[in-house]
Amino acid sequence: MNVEEVTERAEPRAFSPHDDMPEEYRKAATRMIQFHANSEIMGAYLERPFIRQAPSLDRKLAFSAKVQDEIGHGQLLYRAAESLGIKTRAEMLDELATGEGKFLNCFHYPMTEWWETPMIAFFVDGAAMRRQATIKRTSWEPYAHAMDKICFEEGFHIKHGEDIMRTLATGSRREQQLLQEAFEEWWPRILQFFGPTDDRSTHHDFSERVGLKTMSNDELRQAFLNAYLPKAQKYGLEIPDEPRIRKEDGRYIVEEDDLDWEEFWEIASNEYAGSHEQIDSRAATQEAVAWVRNAIDRSEQP
Amino acid sequence: MIWEVFRQEQAGEYHTHCGNVHAPDREMALLFAQIQHARRKPTNSLWVVPQAEVSAVDADTDDVEFGGTTDKSYRWVSAYNVDVEFAEEIETSDREQRKAEGER
Repeated sequence: MNVEEVTERAEPRAFSPHDDMPEEYRKAATRMIQFHANSEIMGAYLERPFIRQAPSLDRKLAFSAKVQDEIGHGQLLYRAAESLGIKTRAEMLDELATGEGKFLNCFHYPMTEWWETPMIAFFVDGAAMRRQATIKRTSWEPYAHAMDKICFEEGFHIKHGEDIMRTLATGSRREQQLLQEAFEEWWPRILQFFGPTDDRSTHHDFSERVGLKTMSNDELRQAFLNAYLPKAQKYGLEIPDEPRIRKEDGRYIVEEDDLDWEEFWEIASNEYAGSHEQIDSRAATQEAVAWVRNAIDRSEQP
Repeated sequence: MIWEVFRQEQAGEYHTHCGNVHAPDREMALLFAQIQHARRKPTNSLWVVPQAEVSAVDADTDDVEFGGTTDKSYRWVSAYNVDVEFAEEIETSDREQRKAEGER
């Protein structure tokens, strides 16, 4: 198939490994799915310390189940990416360790305090879920199948995140204050989750044409704000004055210039201080458990 | 030789197990699978897999408790009493999980 045929036939779950896909499609899909898989892994590493730091046994168990889910999502997605025939799973994992692999902006920032956890577990996961629900209709069938399972599981993550947020928001004055501070720090990053506005997005046109993506960054952010801004307000969080957000004809307009795009692009190229920190700490963990992988490889049977 | 057969009804859906066929080789297995399992049922694609290549773990015979025996309610949406109606995708996940949990 050439790109014109792909464009013509593009619809939800239209293409599978049996189809002869042009390299341009396979590369674009690999880039997208690899990014997604990397993000699952890096998100899991960011939350892992809270299995220990969580304030109660229930929360520890839930965080443990969640981290386990996220690593599983990464594995599902590497399989979906591998099926495009461009890169192997080992290559993609190596790229993540060497700092070549890219992942979500929000996972480049350290998360150290318990009251920060709803920022990832509710808002970032909620944003991701919004996006993932649209990817159930992607044209690469293995990717859509991975989304079925991921979205099935993800509901627990977001409800758990909201539950933590509610506990903090209805807790002591100090807890409410710390939650507000965490929100103010994370809010601009969360707004940048969906990436730059459409006219600055580099890969969108092709991906939409061949059915890999079904909604643009702006549309996704719009849908996210519609659902999650009222949520933040419901729990008494004050929306920061900056970045400015206004509502016109039922649509939220974010003042793009109030967001730090220099930092965003630094992150996008893995050059931010936090990027090094997150990538290196995962690489160190990978190395520390190399003996487990080696033991498994040695006993692998055909 | 026995071959397990998996049928996909429509493009984009999952291949699900639908039975098996007795056939001397792969080519014949594919042919028999078509005749036995895809002649009337709507079919878009079939897989055949040598039965010996299928490994299984079974709740009854292997005495396995899938999902464990301890209370793991913390990993289900039903454990968290927050509303889901604000976002369609959360509602969907909530519905799917409640269904799965109910069927366990």
